[in-house]
Formats: sequence, C-alpha cells, structure tokens
Amino acid sequence: MIVEDEAGLRESIEAYFTGGDSVCETAGNFTSAMAKVSMYRYDCVILDLTLPQGNGLDIVRHLKEHQHNDGVLIISAKNSLDDRLIGLDLGADDYLTKPFHLSELKSRVTAIVRRRSFDGSSVLKFNEISIDLAAKTVKVNNAVVKFTRKEYALLLYFISNKGKVVSKSAIAEHLWGDSIDIADNFDFIYSHIKNIRKKIVEAGGNDYIQAAYGMGYKFTEA
Amino acid sequence: MKLLEKYNRINIAVTVIIMLVTGIIYYYTISQILTGQIDKDLVLEENEVFSFVKQNNKLPDVYESNHQQIFFSPLNNQAVQRRFVDTTYKETDDNDIEAGRALISSVKVKGQNYRIMVVQSKVETEDLIKIIFLITIGVIAALLLVLVMLNRVILKSIWQPFYRVLSQLKQFSLTDHGSVNSTPSTIDEFNELDKAVITMADRVRSDYQNLKAFTENASHELMTPISVINSKLDTLVQTDEFTDKQSKLLNDIYGTVARLTRLNKSMLLLAKIENGLIKDDGEVDLKEILEQCLYQHEEMIHQLNLQLVTHCDDKKLKASKLLVEVLLNNLISNAIRHNNQNGTLSVKLQSHQLSISNTGEGTFDFNQVLKRFHKTDASEGIGLGLTLCKQICDNYGFTLTYNSNNGTHTFAVIF
Repeated sequence: MIVEDEAGLRESIEAYFTGGDSVCETAGNFTSAMAKVSMYRYDCVILDLTLPQGNGLDIVRHLKEHQHNDGVLIISAKNSLDDRLIGLDLGADDYLTKPFHLSELKSRVTAIVRRRSFDGSSVLKFNEISIDLAAKTVKVNNAVVKFTRKEYALLLYFISNKGKVVSKSAIAEHLWGDSIDIADNFDFIYSHIKNIRKKIVEAGGNDYIQAAYGMGYKFTEA
Repeated sequence: MKLLEKYNRINIAVTVIIMLVTGIIYYYTISQILTGQIDKDLVLEENEVFSFVKQNNKLPDVYESNHQQIFFSPLNNQAVQRRFVDTTYKETDDNDIEAGRALISSVKVKGQNYRIMVVQSKVETEDLIKIIFLITIGVIAALLLVLVMLNRVILKSIWQPFYRVLSQLKQFSLTDHGSVNSTPSTIDEFNELDKAVITMADRVRSDYQNLKAFTENASHELMTPISVINSKLDTLVQTDEFTDKQSKLLNDIYGTVARLTRLNKSMLLLAKIENGLIKDDGEVDLKEILEQCLYQHEEMIHQLNLQLVTHCDDKKLKASKLLVEVLLNNLISNAIRHNNQNGTLSVKLQSHQLSISNTGEGTFDFNQVLKRFHKTDASEGIGLGLTLCKQICDNYGFTLTYNSNNGTHTFAVIF
C-alpha cells in the first residue's frame, strides 16, 4: 500500500513494486488512505507524512490504536529528527528521507515484510544461497562463505531487488551513505561485486549478477 | 576626536575669546574712568594755583606731594593751549620713572605769562588695573575649569544611554539570538535613537530569518521533484535494452541527480544549523563514529595505498550524532581526496582535540575554503564541505584550525 500525494512518485513506486508476487494499492490523500487502512490489511504501508487533508502520523496512530500489525515505512521530505523519532515511537518500522532510490525503498520494505512474515525464523533462502539475517552469515550449498560487511549488505540488497536493474548510484548510497561523494566509489562497487561473484561461484553457486549496460547491475534467477 | 573633547575645545575657545574681549573692554573702561579721576585732581590743582595767584599775585611754591608735581616756566609771547597729556613722572627721592598724567595750562602773574604743568603719577591707577586684571584672569581660569569639569560630568552621565545603545550595536550579531534591549532615557533624542535601533535590529533580524527560512523551504521543496526524477530514472532503467550512448547519458543523469541531492541536502543542513533547528543533542562516542567513518572510506584509503596512522583515546561529546558524522566524514573524505598516492593519513583523537592530517601538494587559503561554494579547480566536491564543518564547530563552540607544514595538511577540531 502506497500513500503518497505526489502522483509521479506514487506511480513510479507502484510500477517498481508491482510484479513478482507483490500487489500494490495506492492512495493519494489522507481520506482515501484512512479508508483503505480501515478496511484492508497490508504487509507494509509506505507512508508519506505530508498529505493533503491530514498528517501521515495520524494514520500510524490509527493503525496502532486498532492493533493492526501492518508494517509501516515512513517516507518524508523532512529529514527532521523530531518526525523520525515520533514516527518510530508511534510504531513505524522504518523511516526513509526523500529523495531515495526505488531499490533502497524496496530493500527496506522487503526487510520489514520479511521480519513480519518469518515469525522468528531469520533465514532467507534464494536457491542455493541461504542468509542467516540474525547472525549475518551466508551459506552457499550449506557451506559458510565469508563475506565482508559491505559484500553482505550488497548481496542482501541485490536479493531484495532481484530482477531489477539497480543503479550504481543506488548501490553507492546504500553502502556508503549519502554524505560521501558517490562518484568516488563507482570503481569500488565493481570490485565488491567481483568478490561476491567469485565467492559464490567458488562455493559452487551460480553467478546471478549481471552488469546492466554500464549503469548498474541486475540480480536474476536466470 | 571624542565628542567631549570636541565640545570642550569649541566651548573653551569661545569662552576665552569672549573673556578676552570683555577683558579688553573692561580694561579700557576702567582706565578711562581712572584717568578721568586723575584729570579731575589735576583741574583741582590748577584751580588752586589760579586762586593762589589771584590772592597773592605771585606763583605758589613748587611742592611735591601725593604723587603730584607742579612746574612753572615763564613763557614768552606764545600762547599755551590748555590740554591733558600722558607723560612720565619722575620721583624726586629715587629715580624711578613712572607713567604719569599731566595738565598743561597757563597763568598770568604780574604781566608775565607762565606755563603750568601739573603732573600726577599713574602708578596707583596702574596698580589698581593690574589687580583688577589679575582678578579677572583668575575668574576666567576658575570659570573654565569649572566649565570643563561640569561638561565632563554632565556629558558622561547624559550620554550614558547613548553609550549603552552603542555597545549593544557593537555586539549585535545576526546569527546569535540575543535581542537588543531597550535603554530608557529621559532624553527624547536618545529615546528616539533607542527605538530606531531596536526597530532596525528587529527588521534586519526578521529579514535574515525570512531569508534563512526561504533557503530552508526552497531546499525542502526541491526534494520532492528530485525524488520524482530519481524514481523515474530508476523506473526508466528497468525498461528494455539501452545502447551504449543511452546508458552513458543515463549514467550522467544519475550522477547529476546524486550531486543535486547532495548539494541540496548540504544546503538544507546548513540552513538548519543556522536556524538552530538541530536539537537532538545526546552523548556521542567520537571514537566509534571515527571508526565507522574510516570503515566507510576503507576502499579509498586502500586504493591510494595510504598509510593510516590512528591514535584514538576515548572521547564522548554532547552533540548531535548526525552533525558529528557529517563533520568527521567531511574532514576524513577531504584528507583522503587531497592525498597523494602512497601518502599518509593520520587521525589523532585526544581528549582536547581531534586532528586529521594528510600529505598532499599545494597550499590554500584556509579562510577562502571556508566560504560557501569555494572550490579549487581540481576539487570534485560541491564546495560546501568545509563550510559545513565550520558551521558545525561554531554551533558547538569548537574551534576548527588548519595548518600546513612541509606538504602535511592538518585540520584540527579543538573541543
């Protein structure tokens, strides 16, 4: 469920998230969002705080008051800590500041949905790769493969965005944060990816990572 | 020149001139009156001579008394005009020559004309004038002294409100939030000044606030369109195949949008710090943030084959974690970006300061780089990094220093 008043952004998010096994609904204002969260349950609500007719935080309050267990990810142009803290205090699962990459949003939403649906189990499986999210270890064909922190984060990011082209900008931002000049790091992305491929292939796994026209990479089943 | 000094100068000059003119007039008037008095004495003496001649039909004896001398001299047929003259007076006992006043007249005794000259010394008159003059000078001096003192005291106390307003103006700063206090005074002009200053300060400050609010709002509003562009780009790259040319273009757009985002975020952050909107102060473990920050930069350090020298003591600060991260990230990323291949990066955290030094060519003017959007030609940054660092340091009362020595550049934050 996407609650966002900016039509351009809403459509992009919907297009990115729809497909595979996901279904998306959208709301462009407070009233329709409230109506939808009152009637239906969602795995995750992507919620913009500044909405016509109301404040997104009231939707979070409504969900928690009615003990609805929907995951909530707040997206806001305000990078204000107050909003962030209030949102998280009210029970939102995560907070993402605009502007963001869709792949980043997807990975955050996937993490929220995963936390909610695994019911305690924290092992993520993708074909022969299995990732223990609690211990942060990766097994390929049941053999532990050692990844560095960044490689681990990158692998998880790819799996969350499988089938999608993930831009280098998005990867750099995910790994190094937005306070670092992204262009500086493009070369390092390549070496990290090379290492991930090598480690998985050496452990007998498949090479799932494809370069996409020099713009980014795509993690695919094929 | 101080107002008091200027005022005193004019005051004293005018007073002295007026006093001098008065003195001169005074002097002439008094000497006129006194000369008149002497002249009367001389006429009296002349009359005595005339009455003596009338009674006795002979000239009186020549005598001297009371600073008066009388001389007779026979005249031939010429006439003598009766007149008063200024002359000298010669004391007979001693040889002092004093100023004197004389009356020249004539008398006829037994058919013979005699010239009479009655001389009186003016010494007493002059003494009198001297005393009067001295007293006048004394009074002038005393008056001046009193005037100066009085001016000093009165001006000092009267101008007190002015000096208070002045010192407030001197301390006035746009960025701090103290306001200009009213300094009430019994003097209308100063009250007006005070009001004008307060109005001005309020207006300037509110204009400045508006400007800052505008910067913040503008940066803020830009975030939404940027995020739309970003998301459209992310969507665009999901569609089908791209030629090399297209993907090159897309890459450039990605890079530019990322740059725009960073620029905008930095401006927003600057505006927020300036507006005092970052209030999430908590205990921050500098060592931990520093290690995290070095980890973020490990690839770059590795690529340049930098020798990393770290010495970290435990140090905790009360500050916003976000701002400390921005500060350290900027300083370290600068130290890496401007480093040489195989250079050295040294990070030293002590309880009183954090210093980060790097090897690197070139020098720069520290004050220049602190300015917004200042960039060297080679720099790929957005030109706000050090401005942000400085602003963050100022915000917490830290000092940011820089010095360069033999190709080693050291930035230090002194807590």
